[in-house]
Amino acid sequence: MPSAELAPGDGAATAPITARSPLELFWRRLRTDKVALTALMFIGLLVLIAVLAPLIVKLVGAPAPDVQSSAALDPTFGSPTGPSSEHLFGVDKLGQDVFSRVVYGTRVSLQVAILSTGSAVIAGVLVGMFAGYYGGWVDTLLSRALDVLLAFPILLLGIGLASACSLGNGCAGGLIQPGLTVVVVVIAIATFPYIARIIRGQVLSLREKEFVEAARSLGASDRRIIFRQILPNLVAPIIVYSTLVLPQNILFEAALSFLGVGVQAPTASWGQMIADATEIFDTAWWFMVFPGVALVLTVLAFNLVGDGLQDALNPKRGR
Amino acid sequence: MTQRNLTFARRPLFAAYAAAAALALGACGSDSSDNGDSQADGGATSAGFDAAVPAGDQQKGGALKLLSSESFAHLDPGAAYFQLDYMVMFATHRSLYYFKPDDPKTAVPDLAEAAPQIAADNKTVTVKLKKGIKYGTNDTSSPVNGQEVKAADVKYAFERGFKPSVANGYLATYFKSIVGADKAKGGDVAGITTPDDYTIEFKLAEPFGATLAKALVMPITMPVPKSYASKFDAKQPNEYDSDPDKQAFSGPYMIKSSSPGKSLTLVRNPNWDEATDERPAYLDTIEWTLGTDPNVAGRQIMSGTGIVNGDTPAASTIKQFATAAKDRISFTPLGNRFVNINTQKKPFSDLNVRKAFAAALDRKAMQLTRGGTLTGDIATHLLPPTLAGHEEAGGADGTGADYLANPSGDMAVAQSYLKKAGFADGKYDGPAIRMLGDNSSPAKESAAVVRRALESLGMKVNLTSVEHSAFYTKFCNVVDQLKKIDVCANYGWLPDFADPYAMLNANFNGEAIVPVNNSNASLFDNEKVNADMNAAAQITDEAERAKAWGAIDRALVEQVAAVPWFWDKTPNVRSKDVHGVIAQWNAAWDLSYMSLEK
Repeated sequence: MPSAELAPGDGAATAPITARSPLELFWRRLRTDKVALTALMFIGLLVLIAVLAPLIVKLVGAPAPDVQSSAALDPTFGSPTGPSSEHLFGVDKLGQDVFSRVVYGTRVSLQVAILSTGSAVIAGVLVGMFAGYYGGWVDTLLSRALDVLLAFPILLLGIGLASACSLGNGCAGGLIQPGLTVVVVVIAIATFPYIARIIRGQVLSLREKEFVEAARSLGASDRRIIFRQILPNLVAPIIVYSTLVLPQNILFEAALSFLGVGVQAPTASWGQMIADATEIFDTAWWFMVFPGVALVLTVLAFNLVGDGLQDALNPKRGR
Repeated sequence: MTQRNLTFARRPLFAAYAAAAALALGACGSDSSDNGDSQADGGATSAGFDAAVPAGDQQKGGALKLLSSESFAHLDPGAAYFQLDYMVMFATHRSLYYFKPDDPKTAVPDLAEAAPQIAADNKTVTVKLKKGIKYGTNDTSSPVNGQEVKAADVKYAFERGFKPSVANGYLATYFKSIVGADKAKGGDVAGITTPDDYTIEFKLAEPFGATLAKALVMPITMPVPKSYASKFDAKQPNEYDSDPDKQAFSGPYMIKSSSPGKSLTLVRNPNWDEATDERPAYLDTIEWTLGTDPNVAGRQIMSGTGIVNGDTPAASTIKQFATAAKDRISFTPLGNRFVNINTQKKPFSDLNVRKAFAAALDRKAMQLTRGGTLTGDIATHLLPPTLAGHEEAGGADGTGADYLANPSGDMAVAQSYLKKAGFADGKYDGPAIRMLGDNSSPAKESAAVVRRALESLGMKVNLTSVEHSAFYTKFCNVVDQLKKIDVCANYGWLPDFADPYAMLNANFNGEAIVPVNNSNASLFDNEKVNADMNAAAQITDEAERAKAWGAIDRALVEQVAAVPWFWDKTPNVRSKDVHGVIAQWNAAWDLSYMSLEK
């Protein structure tokens, strides 16, 4: 029998043994999770709606979100009218179109969610890494500071800060302006200590690992170790935690707006719409139901995606 | 007056009942102006137990319940300055003069024997008192129980109003012309004298007798016996106010018990003699529950018996009654609303910019924010239909100013005025406008419409939304703040008595501007208007007086001292077995005239 050596190329063709990157593995696992995928697609749709809000409103033929059309109000009672061909979701107390306000409200929700989660993650990761890596007095100082922040009644802190900054010219010398900025800052402050605590814990164990020892013995600087050796290993927890915090932050924004200290009218926000609707819910259900459903679906979608990501990144995690 | 206007605005037109058959609600899609017209007198005239003084078919006895979410501010005749307080004060005490429920324009004697005598020089006002009116107290062993009301008690009632422990809110407005009143701190006021036990005389430093005589309907004229009350008045807080069941009552009812924020019970005053009083006082007891959710109260009134509203019904309650129980809701006209604009600060110091804003404001949309045509008419000038001078200033049609001609606003007119003001393309391009607004519904929505009007002129708006009471006490009644504010969006005014002076003087007389508790939120100070007002306050002839104040109203519209947009009507609702009677002057139930069906 002629012993024929296999040509290198042949083997690869018949038995494709390629190394899969972690990203690829993650994607393969996620792909099988139909629920998470559906939720992800819904979020994609939301992003589209947010970006194309003016176009969608125009296509449907609805007025802009801040147009007060008194013709749509009951002339005798001044009460809002319900869904009709002219106003798909009815109008609110000022005759503003609920459909276009719900659509534009998507912008606020996503904007706040992304900005506040983003800044909370950056702040949390930085603080957590420094505390965990350096230990000693740096750790003590930062951890105690975090403890103090965690001990704050967050909603009260939010209401206090937001209402203090809602009057006149904002706070911190005009740096924090009423409206969106206040909301983002409040939510970021409320959220980042949790992230910092988790990251610190991870770093505490990572810094004892051999590859860190190795890097240190080769003379790598602290900065290089933190950002080049440790940070990449934190990607999974960061992603998982961000996706869990995101829907919470959407709710937080809604709560602040509900309490009247969030995004200010005439900018449309779901929480603010729900707050306005509570007084007249028994006569104008549409005013609360549509923004309410939008809020529930959005938060649910982010939660489901978060779960899916967690499973995909960490398949061994027990349920 | 601060307290009174506060209130007013705090309770969007509170309300009431009855007679709304006249509401023209029935005809769906009836023209809104029709609606408005029929209501202008509809509140006053209606079938059955309406605001007309009841006929003899009403019966004595029974307990009436009132439900309100709001509480009383002061239950002391010297300090009371609030719609709800008035309801209780006028049932438990007797003022020199009062308005019968169906006629808010003609004061009739109560404690007084006859109309006040105004001296020819307009500087002395003399009032004779009835004899045989006695006090009643809960503690029957009290020396004041059964004591007769004397002129000295009315004098003391005025004097104690100046004490910090009473701190009356309107003495300085209507009674400052009394000799010695400007320096009064609670002691003797030289200008108030009692020649005998049944005569009280007011001597004035200036000829304002006619206006003072009209103000003798205020609760400050309710008698307070000095020997009994001075020990309470010496303390701070004043127990005469905080423990109202300790008062000496001259009215048909007494406050039996009061639990602040929770409840109040009135019972008959055994020492009240019906021979001395025209009020029928049918009810035996009146129980007032405070802190009730407005929606819950509405449902209880709708389905229960013997219940009426104590303060503004919820919007859903109004809608429910007006559609399903029209004969149990009424709308009583009283007061007005206007947007104040700072007439001393750019850009609104320019008359043309003020006119442009007036033209841009969609008053129809403003009306809708307050509850549509039912709860009031779109204003075309400042004096509401309930006051003399209204017709003289143009009636419902207005003064003919082009910037108030279209109730939905007129952008073409607005732009033409902006061009006249020097904004070449009809768009404002100056610095941002600072606007103060109320943050609770429905004032919040009204403010949103005002904001929209400003933005439609090209103005960038910085809106500060504050709580209702802060809107007045921290901002729009404080001159130092007003200097930094361009627009006060949610101003409302309830006249203290049926005279145009009570509506216009405090709000638009430049001489009435004071550092705090300032009611002139436009900082409007026009020498000619000031002089006209001071002259008109001295006119005693009713027709001349109406003409003079009508002309002042026109001048204020011409100067756009403020943008009038609403003549309020206050809704009131009742259970089906209540013979409701509304005191039109207070736009609230008159407890001394109501009764229950058996």
